[in-house]
Amino acid sequence: MSLLKSAARRGFLMSFAVLAATASFILATPHAQAQPRPAKLIITAIPDDGDADRMRENFGALARHLGDAVGIPVEYMHVENYAASVTALATGRAHIAWLGAVTTAQARMMMGEQLVVLGCRDIDKGFVSYFIANPATGLTQVDSLAELAGSAEGKGWSFTFGSKSSTSGHMMPRKFFQDETGAGPESVFRTVAYSGSHDVVMQMVADGTHQVGALNYASWDKASDELKARAPIIYTTPPFTNYALTARADLGPDLLAALKAALLGIDDGTEEGKRILGYLKAGQFIDADIAEWMGYVELLESGIDIGG
Amino acid sequence: MSAIAIAPSFAFHPKRPLGHFVAIVATLLALAAAFHAAEWDFAALTDPALRAWAAERMAAWLVAFGSPDLSWSFIVHAWDLTLQTLSAAVLGTVLAVMLAWPLAMGASRKVCVGEERPALRWPGWRHFPLRSPAAALCAICRLIQDVLRAVPDFVWAIILVAMIGLGPLTGALALALNITGILAKVYSELWDSVDDARFAQVRSQGGGRIATFLYGIRPLASRNVLSFTLMRAECAIRNAAVIGAVGGGGLGSEIWYQIRFGAWDKVSTLILFTLLLTLTADLASNLIRRQLRGDPNRAAAAPAAVSGEVAARVRPPCRPWFAALFVVGVLGWSIWFMGWGNQAGQDGVPRNHLAPATALLTGEAWSNLRFFERLLSPELDLAAIGVGDAASVAARQANGTAVALFAEHGPLSVWRVEAWQAWQAELRKWFVWRAIESAAVPLAIAVVGTVLGVAGAILLTYPHSATFQRHAQRFSGESPSRWVVALRGLQLAAARATAMVSRGVPEVMWAFLFIAFFGPGLVAGTIAIALHTLGVLTRVFGESVDNLALRRFEPVCGASRSLVFGVVAVPLVWREWMTYSFFQFESNVRAAVVLGLIGVGGLGFQFSFNFEWFRFERAGTYLIVIIALTVLIDRTSRAMKLSSTSR
Repeated sequence: MSLLKSAARRGFLMSFAVLAATASFILATPHAQAQPRPAKLIITAIPDDGDADRMRENFGALARHLGDAVGIPVEYMHVENYAASVTALATGRAHIAWLGAVTTAQARMMMGEQLVVLGCRDIDKGFVSYFIANPATGLTQVDSLAELAGSAEGKGWSFTFGSKSSTSGHMMPRKFFQDETGAGPESVFRTVAYSGSHDVVMQMVADGTHQVGALNYASWDKASDELKARAPIIYTTPPFTNYALTARADLGPDLLAALKAALLGIDDGTEEGKRILGYLKAGQFIDADIAEWMGYVELLESGIDIGG
Repeated sequence: MSAIAIAPSFAFHPKRPLGHFVAIVATLLALAAAFHAAEWDFAALTDPALRAWAAERMAAWLVAFGSPDLSWSFIVHAWDLTLQTLSAAVLGTVLAVMLAWPLAMGASRKVCVGEERPALRWPGWRHFPLRSPAAALCAICRLIQDVLRAVPDFVWAIILVAMIGLGPLTGALALALNITGILAKVYSELWDSVDDARFAQVRSQGGGRIATFLYGIRPLASRNVLSFTLMRAECAIRNAAVIGAVGGGGLGSEIWYQIRFGAWDKVSTLILFTLLLTLTADLASNLIRRQLRGDPNRAAAAPAAVSGEVAARVRPPCRPWFAALFVVGVLGWSIWFMGWGNQAGQDGVPRNHLAPATALLTGEAWSNLRFFERLLSPELDLAAIGVGDAASVAARQANGTAVALFAEHGPLSVWRVEAWQAWQAELRKWFVWRAIESAAVPLAIAVVGTVLGVAGAILLTYPHSATFQRHAQRFSGESPSRWVVALRGLQLAAARATAMVSRGVPEVMWAFLFIAFFGPGLVAGTIAIALHTLGVLTRVFGESVDNLALRRFEPVCGASRSLVFGVVAVPLVWREWMTYSFFQFESNVRAAVVLGLIGVGGLGFQFSFNFEWFRFERAGTYLIVIIALTVLIDRTSRAMKLSSTSR
C-alpha cells in the first residue's frame, strides 16, 4: 500500500503543509516593536472598590485628564480581578495601571525594569489599615492584635479580608497579625474568608456575616456614618507604603515624562481634578520611585506565609 | 460478519441486575466518605442562636425580594446587562459548538478509531492508547477536552487577557473554551453509546470512518445531541458571570456584587431579569426542539387522516429551516451587539469589541502565552519524599519536614487506627499530598449536593410532569371534575415555577445567598448545589417522562396516576435519569471547585489563591489535581457506559 494512496490524501497532506507553513510564518514574525507613540493608551486598575460604575466614572475622569494632557486618547478598562490587571499590564495589553503595593511588587517581579512608577498619592507613603468588628461581638478598642486574638479565642468568630492580592486588605493586616500574635488568623478564627473588596468587607462586618474584618482606612472613611456605626474600628495598624500609578517603560521616556507631569499637575482647581482627588481621598499626586516598593518585592520573594 | 458476530459473544451477560445494588452501596459509601473526609460545620443549622439569625436574614431577604428595586434607571441598567449576557453567551455557545464537533469526533472511539481487529488476545489491549495512531489521537483529544473543561473559566479569561486584551469578547471566548470542553465530552460520549449493530450497514457497504460517522452514528445520536446542546446553551446563559471578570459587564457579575453588598432589592430585580432570560431561553429552546422533532403523543393523538389530506400534507420539510433561521438570526444579533451595539463602560462611546480577535492572528498574542509558562512546571516538592539533589533532601530531613512514612508505625500495623493517623500526618508534610487532600472538599460538596438534589428532583417530577397532571385522562380512563383539573393545573404551575427558579439562578448565586444566610462553609455550598441540581434535574427528568409515548402506559390501563407513575413511567426512564444524574454530578464537582473561589474552601480556593498571587508553580500542582479529578470522573462514566440508553 503506497503512502500516497489517493488524491484525497495527497490533498490533505498538501493543505496540512500549507497550514503549518502559514502558522510558522505568523509565529515567527518578530514582536511588534514598541511604537514611539501608540495610537491609544489603555489604563486599568485593581478593583479595590466593589462598585464598578463608580470606578468607571472616576478612573474615566483620570483617563480623560491624562489623555488631554498628552494628546493621545486614553481609555479606562474595568476588570473584576486583581490578577487580570497585573496580567494585562505585564503583557502589554494595558499601558498604565493603578496598582496596590502587592500588585506593584508582583508586576515588578514579572516585568523587571519594564515597570516604572509614574507617581502615587500623598497618602500612599503613610497608609494604614483598620481592623473592624461587628458591635454584637462586644469588642471596642484593642491595644494590640494579640489582645484581639485573645478575646477571639474559642468564640467561633468569622474573619474576613478583602481581596487576596490586596495590600491593605490582606497582606499587611495579616503580616501585622502574625508578627504580633505569632500565628495566622486561621488558627484563631472559625473561618477566614476573602470578600473581594474593601467596601464589601465593611458591609459584611456591619451585616454580621463576618464578625471581624480588615480593610484600608480610606474605604472606611468614605462610608456613610450609619455604616461606620455598625462596623466600628477596633485597631489601627502601623503605617506602610501602598498604591502607585504604574506604566510600561516601553512607552518611551518622552511620553512617560508627559504622563508624569500630567499626573502631578492634578489639583482640585478643575472639575475633573476635584473629582479624581475626592474619589481617591488624596490631596495631590506626588513623585515616587519603584525603589519604595522594593521592600514588598523582597517580602514576597522571601516566601512570606500568606495563608495559601 | 466480524463485528456483529463477535460482539455479542464477548459481551457480559449479567444473570442478575446487580448493578443497582452496586450503585446503592457505592452511593452510601461515597456519602459516608463525604461526611468523614471534610470538616462539616452544622452549627448554622443546629445552634438556635445562629438559626434564628439565619431565619432573620432570610426573612429580610424575602421581604426585600417582594419589593424589587423597580426604579426606571435601574431597570434600564439591568436590561443592558441582560443584553450583554445574552450576546456573550450566544456567541460563546455557537463558537463552542463549532469547536466541540471536531474535538468530539476525535475523542469518540467509535468515530475516530472505528473498527479494530485485536492484535493481541488480551482483552485489556483496547485500553492501551498507543496501539495505533488513531487511538493516540483519540486519547489526546480526550485529554484536551478534559483540560478545557477542568480549568475554571476565570483562568481562561486571564490567559485570554494576555492574548487579546480586555473587553467583553475576552469573556465570551473564555466561556466558549469552557463550554467546548463540556459539549465535546457529552457529544463524544453520546456517539460512543450508539450500538455498533445499528450502523453496521454503513460499514458493510464500504463506508470509511467519516462516512460511518456522517450517515450512521451522527443521525442516530442527533436527538440527544440536540437536547444536550440546548440544555448547555441555557446553562451558559445563566452562568455567564465570567464575562464581567475582565471588562464585559453582564448580569452575573452584577448580582455577585450586589449580593455581597446586601442590596437585596437590587438583587431581586436582577434575579427577575435572570429568570426572564432563562424563561425566554427555555421557550426558545423548546421552539427549536419542536421544529426539529415531532412530539410522539401529539402525532398519536391526532385523528386518523383521510388519504387525501395526507397527500395535501406532504410537502418539503420547512420546519428545520425555520429553526436554522431562528438560530442564525439570534447569532447575527449577538455579533452585531458585541461588535457595535454594546456601549457598556465607554461613557456611551460605541466601539468595536470584535476587533481584538484579530490579535489572535499576530505572533505577539501567542508569544504572550509564555507569561503562563510556569504553570507547566508544577511544584512537586520532591525533596520532601527524598527525591532530588542530596543537599535539599538533607535540609528537609534535618528540620523535620520530610516525609518519614514508617518512622513510627511500620507497614505491618495496618490494622491500627493511630498508624493510619500517623501516616496521614507524615504525608501532609508533602505539598502534593496536601493538594490531593484538598480535593475532598469539592468532592464532598458534590456528592452530598447531588444526592440531595436527585432525591428532591425525583419527588418534584411527579407534580412537574404534564403527562400526569394534564393528560392523565388519556391513559387512566378517569374523567376528573373541573375542580380536580384546576387543582392539578395549580400543582403543575407551582412545581414548574419551583424548578425554574432553582435552576434559573446559578449555583454561584445560590451559594452567595446561602453564605449570607448561614455563613461561609460547606453547608452553604452544599445547599446551593443541591438546590440548583434539583432545578436542572427536575426539568430533564420531567422531560423524559413527558417524552414517553402514552401507548406505553396501555398495559396498566385503568390504574391510578400515581401507580402508573411509580410502576411504569419511572422504571422506563430510570436509566436515563441516572445518566443525567451522573452528568450532573460531574458538573457539580466542577461547580464545587468554583465555589471554593468564593470562600467555601478546598481545592478551588487553594488554586485561585496561588494563581492570583502568580505562584504559578504551586497553582500548577493544584491544576493537575483538578484535571486529574475531571479525567477520573470522565473515564469512570465512560467505563460504566452510562449514556447507552436506548432511544
